[in-house]
Amino acid sequence: MANTEAALKEATTSIEGAVGAALVDYTSGMALGTIGGGKDLDLTVAAAGNTDVVRAKVRTMEMLGMKDEIEDILITLGGQYHLIRLLKGRGNNGLFLYVALDKQRANLAMARHQLKKIENALEV
Amino acid sequence: MNADTAARAASSAPTVSPVSPMLVRLADERATGALLRDHGTLYLSEGRVVHAESPVAPGIDTLLTTGGRLPRDGWQRAVDEAGARGAVGRFLVDSGRIGGGELEICHLGALYDAAFFALAPGSGPTRFRYGVAHWIGPVRPVPAAAVERETRRRRELLDQVWPYPAVDTSPVVPRAPAPGQSVTHRQRALLELADGVRTPAAIAWALGRPAFHTLLEVRRLAAAGLVGTPPDPPRDARPVLPGWIAEVSDPDIGLLRRLRDALEASL
Repeated sequence: MANTEAALKEATTSIEGAVGAALVDYTSGMALGTIGGGKDLDLTVAAAGNTDVVRAKVRTMEMLGMKDEIEDILITLGGQYHLIRLLKGRGNNGLFLYVALDKQRANLAMARHQLKKIENALEV
Repeated sequence: MNADTAARAASSAPTVSPVSPMLVRLADERATGALLRDHGTLYLSEGRVVHAESPVAPGIDTLLTTGGRLPRDGWQRAVDEAGARGAVGRFLVDSGRIGGGELEICHLGALYDAAFFALAPGSGPTRFRYGVAHWIGPVRPVPAAAVERETRRRRELLDQVWPYPAVDTSPVVPRAPAPGQSVTHRQRALLELADGVRTPAAIAWALGRPAFHTLLEVRRLAAAGLVGTPPDPPRDARPVLPGWIAEVSDPDIGLLRRLRDALEASL
């Protein structure tokens, strides 16, 4: 069992290359918690903006009539990876974990694996 | 955490008029107690917001029990056992009814939701009762600046999506989708309860979802033409002046000056 602060701390310490992380409610666009980031990456702005990414993909899945669920979304930039993991959990409150990674240092497969572990620890 | 970044952003940002000057003042003096307004109450502990309630927003009990996340009697048991000592949140976690992370997330959702309505503009007088605490007990306190900023962001977001506030308080009337138009799973659940009588807030209570989330979703649906947009009530911006004002042709300047001086002297 972990609280949100501990889960986010875990995300930035256990995931190699993580520069910031946020737990985001994608209906309202509110960041329930953020860690890291800085002046180059305002995580509350990133949180609000990325809700549009998630909602667009959810809507597209509905339009395609796909019954599958989104596990994560990867956005690849020149210097960073942005990884969005939708939380499934019992509450199903429409939350996602958002992690920005330094592309030089990150191991994408490991990052996805760690993010899954953090989701489980969060018990939502 | 975002709380700190929020506080930093608030201090470096150009001065915007606060949502509630009284909340800002109470946070500065690290007050503990309950801030009472017409549409809700904010509970503060040493200047940080620890809980909020509004008759519009479903409480944390509704959010947890509707939808079956927590059985109603499980919640009641926690209130009976730990309510008197103000530790219901702690009890829910310690007794294994709910995970610490889930309680925090649900509680934060309820707090920001109720605060949005409690801090609604023009909701009458504001009072503060020192020393009052809420029986839920400490979960995760948030800085008043973060509540201020989030409330402002939510107001702006609603208007960005569809600037027709009448949608928020009118019964939700669904409209047939255009060919090829689809709704998400969460929107469908909302539309199924839109019977032309229920308002967005009533739907929020029935679904056990935060009221702001439902308002926002209804505005998105209205923007997409999937629910009707009622006409805005006619706005008469000009204040009506009493008739005698027009009849006063020569105000007593001397009297007004003396009044002003007296007022300034007593400030």
